[in-house]
Amino acid sequence: MAEIRAEEETSTISKTFLIKPKLKSKPRTLPQTPESKYWSSFKSTRIPNLVSSISSISFSPSPPHPFAAAYSASVSLFSPLSLSDGDVSPSSTISSFSDVVSSLSFRSDGLLLAASDLSGLIQVFDVKTRTPLRRLRSHTRPVRFVKYPVLDKLHLLSGGDDAVVKFWDVAGENVVLDLMGHKDYVRCADCSPVSSDLFVTGSYDHTVKVWDVRVENSRSVLEVNHGKPVEDVIYLPSGGLIATAGGSSVKIWDLIGGGKMVHSMESHNKTVTSICVGRTRKENCGHKSMEDRILSVGLDGYMKVFDYGNMKITHSMRFPAPLMSVSFSPDCKTRVIGTSNGIIFAGRRKGKENVESGGRGNVLGFENISEPERRVLRPTNFRYFHRGQSEKPVEGDFLVMRNKKIKLAEHDKLLKKFRHKEALVSVLNKNNRENVVAVMEELVTRKKLLKCVSNLDTDELGLLLMFLSKNATMPRYSSLLMGLTKKVIETRAEDIQSSDALKGQIRNLKRSIEEELRIQHSLQEIQGIISPLLRIIAGRR
Amino acid sequence: MMMRGGRSLVSSPPAFSNDASKLLVCTSNTVSVFSTATGFQITSLEGHTALVTSVLVVPPSSPAAKVLCYCWTASLDGTIRYWDFSVPELLKTIEIRVPIFSMVIPSFLDVPAEDKGKHEDLFAYVFIKDTKETQDKSKALRRQIRKCNLSKSCLVGRLILGETKKLEVLTVSPSGKFFGICNKFKLHIWKVPDQGSEHAAVRKITLHHTKKITVITFHPTQRIIAAGDVTGRILTWRGFGNRAFAGSNGIENQKLINVQEDKPGVRDNDDADSCSTWHWHSAEVNVLSFSSDGTYLYSGGKEGVLVVWQLDTGKKKFLPRIGSPLLYFIDSPDPTLSSISCADNQIHLLKMPSMGILKTISGIKAPCCYPVKYEGWGNGIAFDQTAGLVALRTENYCIQFYSLFDDRGISEVQVCERNHQPGDDVTVIVTAVALSIDGSLMSTSEVKLAEEGIGGLVCLKFWQARSQNKEFSLSTIVYEPHRDAGISAVTFHPSCNMVVSSSFGGDFKVWRCNSDISQNDQMRQNFSWTCHAVGSYKKKPMTAAVFSADGSVLAVAAETLITLWNPYKNVLLAVLGETLTPIVNLSFIGKSDNVVAASCGSNPQLSVWSMSKLSLSWSYKLRIEAVASALDLSSFAALALLPESSNETPFKGRDGVILLYNATDPVPTAIWSVRKAKGGALGFLQVNPSSVEEISIDGQGKQYGYASIYGELPELDKKRPETPWVPSFPSERPWETIFSGSSHNLPPLTKLCSAFLESLLEKRAAAVE
Repeated sequence: MAEIRAEEETSTISKTFLIKPKLKSKPRTLPQTPESKYWSSFKSTRIPNLVSSISSISFSPSPPHPFAAAYSASVSLFSPLSLSDGDVSPSSTISSFSDVVSSLSFRSDGLLLAASDLSGLIQVFDVKTRTPLRRLRSHTRPVRFVKYPVLDKLHLLSGGDDAVVKFWDVAGENVVLDLMGHKDYVRCADCSPVSSDLFVTGSYDHTVKVWDVRVENSRSVLEVNHGKPVEDVIYLPSGGLIATAGGSSVKIWDLIGGGKMVHSMESHNKTVTSICVGRTRKENCGHKSMEDRILSVGLDGYMKVFDYGNMKITHSMRFPAPLMSVSFSPDCKTRVIGTSNGIIFAGRRKGKENVESGGRGNVLGFENISEPERRVLRPTNFRYFHRGQSEKPVEGDFLVMRNKKIKLAEHDKLLKKFRHKEALVSVLNKNNRENVVAVMEELVTRKKLLKCVSNLDTDELGLLLMFLSKNATMPRYSSLLMGLTKKVIETRAEDIQSSDALKGQIRNLKRSIEEELRIQHSLQEIQGIISPLLRIIAGRR
Repeated sequence: MMMRGGRSLVSSPPAFSNDASKLLVCTSNTVSVFSTATGFQITSLEGHTALVTSVLVVPPSSPAAKVLCYCWTASLDGTIRYWDFSVPELLKTIEIRVPIFSMVIPSFLDVPAEDKGKHEDLFAYVFIKDTKETQDKSKALRRQIRKCNLSKSCLVGRLILGETKKLEVLTVSPSGKFFGICNKFKLHIWKVPDQGSEHAAVRKITLHHTKKITVITFHPTQRIIAAGDVTGRILTWRGFGNRAFAGSNGIENQKLINVQEDKPGVRDNDDADSCSTWHWHSAEVNVLSFSSDGTYLYSGGKEGVLVVWQLDTGKKKFLPRIGSPLLYFIDSPDPTLSSISCADNQIHLLKMPSMGILKTISGIKAPCCYPVKYEGWGNGIAFDQTAGLVALRTENYCIQFYSLFDDRGISEVQVCERNHQPGDDVTVIVTAVALSIDGSLMSTSEVKLAEEGIGGLVCLKFWQARSQNKEFSLSTIVYEPHRDAGISAVTFHPSCNMVVSSSFGGDFKVWRCNSDISQNDQMRQNFSWTCHAVGSYKKKPMTAAVFSADGSVLAVAAETLITLWNPYKNVLLAVLGETLTPIVNLSFIGKSDNVVAASCGSNPQLSVWSMSKLSLSWSYKLRIEAVASALDLSSFAALALLPESSNETPFKGRDGVILLYNATDPVPTAIWSVRKAKGGALGFLQVNPSSVEEISIDGQGKQYGYASIYGELPELDKKRPETPWVPSFPSERPWETIFSGSSHNLPPLTKLCSAFLESLLEKRAAAVE
């Protein structure tokens, strides 16, 4: 026992120190929040080669939540499960349209899909067979939106450039209500998640109107003014708040409170084209809960996640094209964004189903393998002496860590052997300037750098000069490298003159230094201009 | 009340007790007994009045007697004492009356098994300096080896075995038959006469070498002697003294036989069979020892590597990178334990076959010798006032934390990621160290010297303590905090996390700490330091900086001026000035509104400035080495160097005084005189509000001393009016002077003070209005 204790307490006096580059100061950015981690965890898949802009994306409310995307004169259905396997071809495509499809909406059971196009026609398809079951024609101008109410399977809501909002009876293909009131194109609508009778529409006349089909004279029950042509409007899940997108702002309104504006989010730089409700996982004091967010996309290519509980942007993501439409699957696993140039960015999160199916497979696999009969190990067996070595620690065991083996780079090994020149050459051959500078600094501390330089042969000198010409003017290293460059040229002048390659390196060096001098010169000019201004400002304060 | 500490553990070879559970170490004029299991001091043997030079443990005569704890000690005070170190108790004192430099007792090892009943006389061989007046003037100082009968407590006759010019250490063979000494290029070996034949002539042989021999050792069983020389060679003579010691009339034979052919390597017809040489060490060999079975030879030297030679084959094994020159290697009775003493005042206990270090007994480390440019500035030493620790810069780029109360090293913090090898050029220098009031934060600055003008670098580092036992971890590195200018001072704010660093480049920076608590790492606080403000005064070099006790005022010395700043808003409040020469030390005096400044140079000055009047209160022309003030007192202490000319009574050989002043009163309230004040530091410790503590360290050469005085201030000390304070000055080399006398014989403080002032100080215009 005493022996063991002695073993533990054995310590070494000196340690091995690696030659490390100087620490860089870290940029003072906030660490990634759990929420932005969540939003970044959507593994993005590009679905390219869809013609023209993606005008609308809609998720089926029924699992596995396939989504439909409208582009040009066709609608494609995608399965999110195949997406996660990397398959980006649509599972089916409906192309029986005569004009550009403007809007899509799934019925609440996911069996029917309503689509509107710019010819003014609304069609209702069976999702499985893709046959048009009903054709609703009453709009005289392009239809801009069609919407199935959330709790109602029999009616449809549509609106378009004729400024009329129509409430349809789908089975009979006739209009139940014509809702007049908007003075410009009606662009968007959403149905209340809590009532089958309430819905909200937004129009280019800057107003958002709340309608109730039970009201007799078909006038809006509430009207709010967004201040900009309204591009999109959604009900937030509580049913009491709506969010409207228009211009570069997203505004949140309190309907129950009489149409009061709660907040205006102005973080997009260009027009916000589409908004939807997304959900994020929130860990609060250990227990997980889901929180709702507003996802907004704009022509500036940004998708922003807005926490309307705390009224702040929690995540922002950039895409390489103007964004036209966004949708978030009800199971919180898929987020689809459509761009104006025919690309869909479908982001999918790894969920629990995958793990479960994987686990099942493993279980099946295990059953096939018959367990070998365990034999008692005897000292005649070699494994007898290795027994217990692969044992895993049980909880509560005291772990004695083996000292980590220090990994030495080549230059470290050479420096340990005091082969200074070889160390310098070896690190110059590697393409890491920070390590080169670190090795040089170590050599300075050993007072061996200039000796190394004088010992270099022509090829190695060329290597050093190449490094110097590339890096001597970098502000981080210049204090060391400029002095070294001077010394190198002084001490090795004859060698440099006798070799053309080295002369070329010196020319490069000269060029980079001239460049740096020019920069310094212009910087000083700028400083000369700015400093009087700063002094004036300082004087005023 | 007085405490002293910081003694050298490596002045003489230590000794293990018989059961190897204790290690007896000569620490100045005491012998400290350490436990080998814990590394802590158990007890100490106090009685000698001068440096103890030898400690010998009485070996057990039978296995049952292993528990007996008796030892002999020899000291420069001319006594040999016999102790029971388990109690501890002084059993016997033998007066020799001449300083003893080394003592061996051969008969200990020569276990006489045959006749137990008869009590035999115990003989010791001592190496002494004969201070008695002799007629012969050329031999005024004679170093003699004498035989001493310990049982009868007397030197044996006029028997002088040998004389050398220099002090050397006697070495005895483990068999107890021979003992030897190295004298320049020669080895002298004597054969111990048999028991009983008391006055028989001790026979001697001499072995020659061409280099100066530094150390010798005897083989435990065979007639082999090994010697190390200054060039690092190890010579082994086999079969020495075959002629001289063999027969009864060997001396005549020696003259007859002049054969050389069968004695390879043996010079000058020496009396040995063969001589072989090993050369691995690059410098002088200091340590040479055979293993107890005689198969291995341990050697070590200046380069800090313990080499194990297999005696028959010459194969080597190493314990490298000990980091300090080795001084002694001692085997213990327990074959798995041995100890090496290093020049950096540390004793490592080794687990033997594997040569792993089990425990380290660490004394205070010597300050490093820096180039003159970076010496001094009074910042090399920082005090942790609450825990009673002192932080010192050491040679191996560490900060050593030394507990003043426990008198032992607590921990070391590696400041620069470098290994120190003895003999290396110093290229990285830790220039300053500062501790926060609670001791949880530390700031160090280091300078990397440039190689012919390229690659110099100044670094400022901030450290945080992870736990109570002073394990510091690096939190922030700032490269070139003041461009390429050196840092003159680093100071912590007394209450909040703020540090000010002043530079010779003409500016000072205020650093603040942003602490963010990372949740995933068990709520550990992470500190990151950022520059909060920069200030400069007329581009003058900033030479010292200090915060006031409440932290509301920052005083920065701009050469000869004192600038006062608001550290939070970085606003210049006032300028005090000016002194004649640049100020190197600044300190606020506790609660009073005075600031004390010490300046050096050709016109040194100690000046006290009143902040309420913004004027000089009083000043002295004194060369001040260090200034310290307590946070909650209105007094301060200054360590002043005495002028060269005034080395007279009552300051016998003491070159410094500690002066305790009240802020308003130019007459010191207390004076202590100290030795080796150069490079010293002063600090008040909070543990006892009335304790003043002094460390003095001499940065010149290898000499250093350390003394700590915890003197109750006279005015506070009502209950114990007569507590004596005895400064003691343990040191490494000049033993002759250090332990001579104490300050018992000083006159009372009040008399001393006025006499001192009148004699030494010319009082400058004391501008007290």
